[in-house]
Amino acid sequence: MITSYEWSGSETGGRRYSPFVINVEHKKPWHTLTGRQHFFVQHDWMAELGEQLPVYRPPLNVIGHYGDEHLHEDGRAEVTVRYLTPHSKWSIHSNYQDNKYMLDLSRGGPAIWMSTADAERIGVRDNEWVEAYNRNGVVAARAVVTHRMPEGTVYMYHAQDRTVNVPRTEIGGRRGGMHNSLTRLLLKPTHLAGGHAQLTYAFNYYGPTGNQRDEVTVIRRRSQRVEY
Amino acid sequence: MPRGQSTVGRVMAQVAMVMNLDKCIGCHTCSVTCKQTWTNRTGVEYAWFNNVESKPGIGYPRRYEDQEKWKGGWTLDRRGRLVLRSGGRVRRLLSLFSNPDLPVIEDYYEPVTYDYDNLVGAPAGPDLPVARPRSVLTGRPADITWGANWEDGLGGAPEHAGGDPNLSGEWAEKVRFEFEQTFLFHLPRLCEHCLNPACVSACPSGAMYKRVEDGIVLVDQDRCRGWRMCVTACPYKKVYVNHATGKAEKCTFCFPRIEAGQPTVCSETCVGRLRYLGLLLYDADRVGEAAATPDEQDLLDAQRGVFLDPRDPEVIAAARASGIPEDWLEAARRSPVYDLVARYKVALPLHPEYRTLPMVWYVPPLSPVLDAVTVAGGDQEDPDHVFAAVTRLRIPLEYLASLFTAGDPDVVGGVLMKLTALRSYMRAVSLGEEGNEAALGAVGLDAAEARDLHRLLAVAKYADRYVVPAAHKEDAAALSALESGCPVESAGAPAGGGVALGMPTLRRTPSEGPA
Repeated sequence: MITSYEWSGSETGGRRYSPFVINVEHKKPWHTLTGRQHFFVQHDWMAELGEQLPVYRPPLNVIGHYGDEHLHEDGRAEVTVRYLTPHSKWSIHSNYQDNKYMLDLSRGGPAIWMSTADAERIGVRDNEWVEAYNRNGVVAARAVVTHRMPEGTVYMYHAQDRTVNVPRTEIGGRRGGMHNSLTRLLLKPTHLAGGHAQLTYAFNYYGPTGNQRDEVTVIRRRSQRVEY
Repeated sequence: MPRGQSTVGRVMAQVAMVMNLDKCIGCHTCSVTCKQTWTNRTGVEYAWFNNVESKPGIGYPRRYEDQEKWKGGWTLDRRGRLVLRSGGRVRRLLSLFSNPDLPVIEDYYEPVTYDYDNLVGAPAGPDLPVARPRSVLTGRPADITWGANWEDGLGGAPEHAGGDPNLSGEWAEKVRFEFEQTFLFHLPRLCEHCLNPACVSACPSGAMYKRVEDGIVLVDQDRCRGWRMCVTACPYKKVYVNHATGKAEKCTFCFPRIEAGQPTVCSETCVGRLRYLGLLLYDADRVGEAAATPDEQDLLDAQRGVFLDPRDPEVIAAARASGIPEDWLEAARRSPVYDLVARYKVALPLHPEYRTLPMVWYVPPLSPVLDAVTVAGGDQEDPDHVFAAVTRLRIPLEYLASLFTAGDPDVVGGVLMKLTALRSYMRAVSLGEEGNEAALGAVGLDAAEARDLHRLLAVAKYADRYVVPAAHKEDAAALSALESGCPVESAGAPAGGGVALGMPTLRRTPSEGPA
């Protein structure tokens, strides 16, 4: 078992993993000042930044900070969208969603889910190859076009295997990345509020939560001839 | 024949299944464990005895519900007699060597494997090596363009789901694939082990049979000659051709487990615990009459009319006379399937209009209706809002009706009303309030029945969900008489020799299972 407070379950005796078993059943206090679960953080910096309670923060204004990231090649249509990397119902992190059967029962490789409107904007049909890129990296994947996605947001399931059906990208010509190729953890001031109970850093960030799952990416249709 | 005056005919028992669709999360554990057990072999890479579809969607194989095209199931001729939609004996004989109503591999999907060897054997290079997809049929690199679950979570729905055969009729024109109007549910499917199986009737070789003991429909691998009439005749497209042996294979209802009193693999491993297995007693002499019921929308009642009440003394006497053992009668009285299908009438058959009298039934999902309530600005927890939605919202009610009641929205609406009243009543009870028994009464339940049905639908344990009596030793010889040991075959030495299919067999090497 990884020694992080986050892994607070018990799998003894083949038990299914469930968080906080150690805290609830073995009465180990939570790593907070009160020893209990709480949403409110009494820390000067958190107060100053207005984050004592959970709050909504929009993604970083990338255009403001980094400028327009579009490549603007030959007037090719591109769209800037929010990029999410949710866990799927078929996997525990990277496990199981890429086994042979689950590949047969999905699109058989990396895929990015996008809305009908965004797909139309860049002229992409269901199952066509697209490339998503930003300052962090580039991903080549099949598009899953569905009305179940809201306009302006795409997602790529967490930790699809980079060794299965990942072609070389048009941009850069190297092997495409996986979901985390487009993300980056940016430090913000609250991350530096260390030495304060649950704000103490440990493996898998036990503190003010990371922001790398709140990215923005550019996405466009690519050549349908892929090379591996 | 009106009940009461009639004497019960020949009583038979079948192990049947019910699935509660509100609980299905589309995890595909049933499909994967089924595949690992039964079809992890060369020749059936494309076959999923159990698959889970996202609805609305065209399904697997594509548009299998379009019987105008595929000619599955039964229809009535001008004199009201049951005939196979694929044609009578003469027509089937004439098309023996070129059956036009057969799905091709593209209607299922071209199965692939991946060049996994490349991951460890690639020469040193600038980039991480990858495993690219390769067709297991041709051995050539392949583009993956369709699959057994292509439409999962409505993926590609704006492009494809309009082709769902259930989206017909003027109401369907209002179905738009837009974010605000999304409705989705998962539909797990396996062989229906029908009372009136079209596949058995269509087989020219007499290789398909429905077991007398438990109603399971099987293929005798020794007798199958690969005519594939069963594939056409099955309206659910749940008979598959093993293209390595040339013979038909299908869901076996995991009969070796059923005989041992265990649930099927798909049921055993169901994460959502939505499957129920139990006995249904039925009057075998009235099956043909029920299947030939003139009005399609009366087929549901006709099929329910064939099922017999295992607590009725007359039925018990007739069942004993038909040789059904006492422990099976006891199991029939404890059957959760009988309760859901016949007693509470909350389970419905999939496409009764195919007239095969299917034996895998479904509790229709309330969740698409609840979603529609929210979209319309209502409150899911207010039963009046839900009742109003069931009465007024044609989508998704008409859609469910086209799946489960031959298009009769009142019947499926009635079931959803019952589930709503039950949900509301049990919610009140669990909050320590007085439940509304009048609302329960309006859907035909009293408080005790509500608690019983709630227990069955919500918290039933393993032993309550699966009531499968073991087969009897004295029947062992009969049970194994037709079986050649295994109802599915490996490519190596198929029983009775292989059947040449006249198909290209360019496969590189036989792949036994996934890498």
